This record gives sequence, structure tokens and C-alpha cells, in this order.
Amino acid sequence: MNIKESVIEIVANVCEIEKNQVTENSAIGDFPSWDSMAQLTIFSTIEDQLGVSFEPEEMMEIESISDMVNAIEAKK
Amino acid sequence: MMDSIEEQLAAHALSKPDKVALICGEVEVTYAQLWSRVFFTAQELQTKYNVCKNDRVILSASGCIEFIYVYFGVHIAGGIAVPIDPDTHLARFEFIRQSTNPKCVIGLLHKAGVEGVPFEDVATSEGTSFDYVDLDLDDIADIMFTTGTTGDPKGVTLSHRNLSAAAKHINAFIGNTADDVELLALPVSHSFGLGRIRCVLSAGGTLVVLGSFANVKKFFKEMKEHNVTGFGMVPASWAFIKKFSGKYIAKFANQLKYVEIGSSFMPVEEKQLLMELLPNTRLNMHYGLTEASRSAFMEFHAEKDNLTTVGKASPNVDIALFDAEGKKVALGEEGEVCVKGAHVCSGYWNEPVERFQKDFFDGYFRTGDCATMDEKGYIYLKSRIKEMINVGGKKVSPMEVEDVLNSIPGIAESACIGIPDPAGMMGEVVKAFIVCSDENLTDKDITTALSPKLEVYKLPVQIERIESIPKTSNGKIQRLKLKT
Repeated sequence: MNIKESVIEIVANVCEIEKNQVTENSAIGDFPSWDSMAQLTIFSTIEDQLGVSFEPEEMMEIESISDMVNAIEAKK
Repeated sequence: MMDSIEEQLAAHALSKPDKVALICGEVEVTYAQLWSRVFFTAQELQTKYNVCKNDRVILSASGCIEFIYVYFGVHIAGGIAVPIDPDTHLARFEFIRQSTNPKCVIGLLHKAGVEGVPFEDVATSEGTSFDYVDLDLDDIADIMFTTGTTGDPKGVTLSHRNLSAAAKHINAFIGNTADDVELLALPVSHSFGLGRIRCVLSAGGTLVVLGSFANVKKFFKEMKEHNVTGFGMVPASWAFIKKFSGKYIAKFANQLKYVEIGSSFMPVEEKQLLMELLPNTRLNMHYGLTEASRSAFMEFHAEKDNLTTVGKASPNVDIALFDAEGKKVALGEEGEVCVKGAHVCSGYWNEPVERFQKDFFDGYFRTGDCATMDEKGYIYLKSRIKEMINVGGKKVSPMEVEDVLNSIPGIAESACIGIPDPAGMMGEVVKAFIVCSDENLTDKDITTALSPKLEVYKLPVQIERIESIPKTSNGKIQRLKLKT
């Protein structure tokens, strides 16, 4: 599974929605369940599963799935 | 003489029709436009949904601008607004629906799978005439469902007088004026967020509707773009903002006039950090509950040497501490915090007045919190009589979680308590102690079984297996013993 697929799976699981509803352009708040608690869980799962960590200022810039993928790829 | 919030809105629409009341994305709404939308919405509710005086209307309290039109529209149509969390699960929704027997449900409740009438259909921008219902200040305006000690939702009834009195004393302490531009990111299904709408609009200020803290970049973008002067948050929101932006908020130190902070545990170090980052901002932390909104206040900078207090009684509010027999305790002694003022709720929905009267000592409403008070009136909370768990500002009844746990095959019995959040984000989180009859039951099995029945914040973060649950001789669970 590549990074994009992993991120989509994490977001779909945390937000309790089908994977096919999540696209590269999906962003915070696009689904009612993507709230601040979900955002926290998404980041802690990404950090645990993909072995990356982010500084607060880096996380602030991440709004969409593609932002997440780009930020993770930059750290790999 | 006290005017309802709606009367104050109508007065602003007349005195400053072109002043911007609401901003949401690209949309700007003046006071004149706001009042006409509220007016037409009330007409729609009366004619299409037959909402009459004292009829209940359940609102999925999402952060959309149409929610604001409909909320005030219900009031001036003579109805009673029942704002509930859009995350409400089906069992809780059914309880509230049966209890309130609403004329209609408006908005989407995605977790319950309920599609109410879309807000856009009710919040119409066109209308002609309207039968203005003469409101009595003591009519019920809102029913706010909180978590009762037994776990069943409890409907707190708030009159127009209660809402107006609360807005008045909150604005008096914080210093809100018509010049304020407030960013609203709090959930409006709770007393705090909904109260911020009433406070800002009754002061004639401008409200920037954001709906959530989830997108911190957007939060700061809106703050900059609209020259925001204040906002409300709970300590868990601050933990979230800090995690996702570090000390970025300091860039707004010369712009932010005030922050209102909700009542849940906040470490002294976090208060000091906020003071350091926002040295010129009034940092107002309130103490209160849905039944008696913001009964006490303290301001961090003014109390820099006394940051463990929850403050003193708010303007026009009286607080006294009573013992279990209903006698006022001596200065410095521990007692139950009891509150008197026009903001104290008028009762509980579907509950006899005689029962509600038992919640008072000598005209003071019993909060269920234990505290001491010093000679200057500063209150220091000690414990909670009602054993509620406060997860990021949201109350969780241990009994509600225990009931669901006990229904899982393989769990003989359980007890839940609040523990400090190990992640340092939510203040408290739920810890479950379980007695297993099936040793193969895993934590994952338990969480999977709980998830459809409980909101995410109510799910236990820790699960510990024990031999037996400590109980009194009457069989009452001794949760305090599990805390040690």
C-alpha cells in the first residue's frame, strides 16, 4: 500500500466512512465526522503507522489528504 | 426592565441596520438582513410546519449560519428550540424525540441516521407577513439536554429571562461591546457555544461563524481576515490549537481583546502559557453548568497569583456554600456550591416542579460541586458530588457507559471513573474497570461493541480488569475507591 492509500484508509477508518468517499482533495470538515477529535486521531495514527512525526507549525499547514501525503513523502 | 435576546436583535436591526451581524465564508449578513431572515423563518415555521406557542422544534446544532436564523425563528414563532449535537446517536435522539414530541426535526443527525428538514428549506429569505407571538420572558425558550446522573438525558428548560440575564452578566464581566468581532468555533449544541451567539448579538457585535476548531489554519486565517477581537474555547480546544500551531496565537496578541474559556480542568502551567502569549488579552475563565450558565468568572491576568480559583460570583449572581442539611457553611469550610440569579434554569422538562424544588437550598440552586470560599468570595472547587466525568468540557455519566459495558456478553459488571488524560488534551477521559466472565474478551472487542452505542468522547481510553467492583453494603458502586 502506498502512502496515499494508507492515508486514505486511516482517514476513512477514523471518520467511519467508506474509503471510496475519500479523495486526494478531501479536507478537514468535508465529512461531519472529520472534527477536531478525528483530526487528532488521524495524526496520531499516521505518526504511529507511518513512522513520521510533525512539528505543530507543520501540522497547521496540512488541510487535505494531498497535503498529508506531500508532508509525509517529504519526511521519507 | 429586561428585553429578550430577540427584542434586542430587533432593536439593533432598527438602530444599526447596516452593521454586519454575521460572517460565514463569503457571506456577510447585516442586522437588518438577520432580522428579516429570522422573521421569515418564523413565518415558515408557523405556516408550513404549524409551529405554535410552546411547540418544540429539534435542531441539529451544526455550525451553519442557517442554524442561527432557525434558532431565533423558533423563538419568535413562539416555539421552544431543542438544539442537539449533530453527533447524537440514535438511542439518545429517540429519548429526546419521545420526551419532547417535536413539531419537526431540522437538520441532519448523521450518526443517528436521521435526515430532518434541511435548514435551507426553513431559513427562507422570502416572506410577507407574520403573526408575531407575544413572548413572555418566563416562557421556555430552549430545552438543553444534558447528561443526567443516571445516564438518561435531562432536559434543562431555560426561559427567555434566563437567556437574557445570562448574556447580560457574561457581557458585563467580559466587557463585550458592539465593536467586538468574535470567531465562533465552539459547538453550538452546548450551552457555552450557543451562549456566545446570544452574547455577541445582544451586544450588537459581529460573529464570524467557523463551526469548529478542526482546521487550525482556517481558524487563524479568519482571525486575521476579519480582525477578530475575541473567541471562546474550552481547555481541550486550547490543547488542540497548541498541538496544531504551537505558539502561533501570539501573533494576535495585540488584536485579541478577550478569550472566554469554558469550565473544565486546565493546568496552571497552561494558564500561565496563555498569559505569556496573550499578555494584553482578557482571559476570562468561567465556572458554570447548563442549569446556571457562567455563575462565576475569573480573569487570569488579574488573578495571576491565584490561578487555582474558579473565581467569584458573576455580576448579578449570588453564590453560597451549603452543607448536606441545607445550612450555609462557615467561611473556609467545604460545602456544596449553590447559585442564585435570574439566569438559573426554570426547571427540567417533563419533571414536576416539586421535584425540581428539591434542587434548591433556600432559593439557591444546588450545582453538585463541592468547594471552599475565602473571605473575598473566591471559590476553590474540591470535588464533584455527582461523579460526572468531564471530557474536554463534555459531561459523561459513568452510569451511561457502565450500562452499555454491562450489556456486552463476557462482561459481568463494570465501573467507570474519570482519569487525567494521558495525552494531556482532554482534561479528563473515561477509564473502565471491568469484571470479565469471558477471559478471551479483548479491549478491541469491547471498543467495537461500544462504538455504535456511545459518542467517541464517551469511549473508555483505558480498560482495566479487576476481580470485583467495590460497593457499599447497599450495592452502590464506590467509584472514589477506584480513583486511588
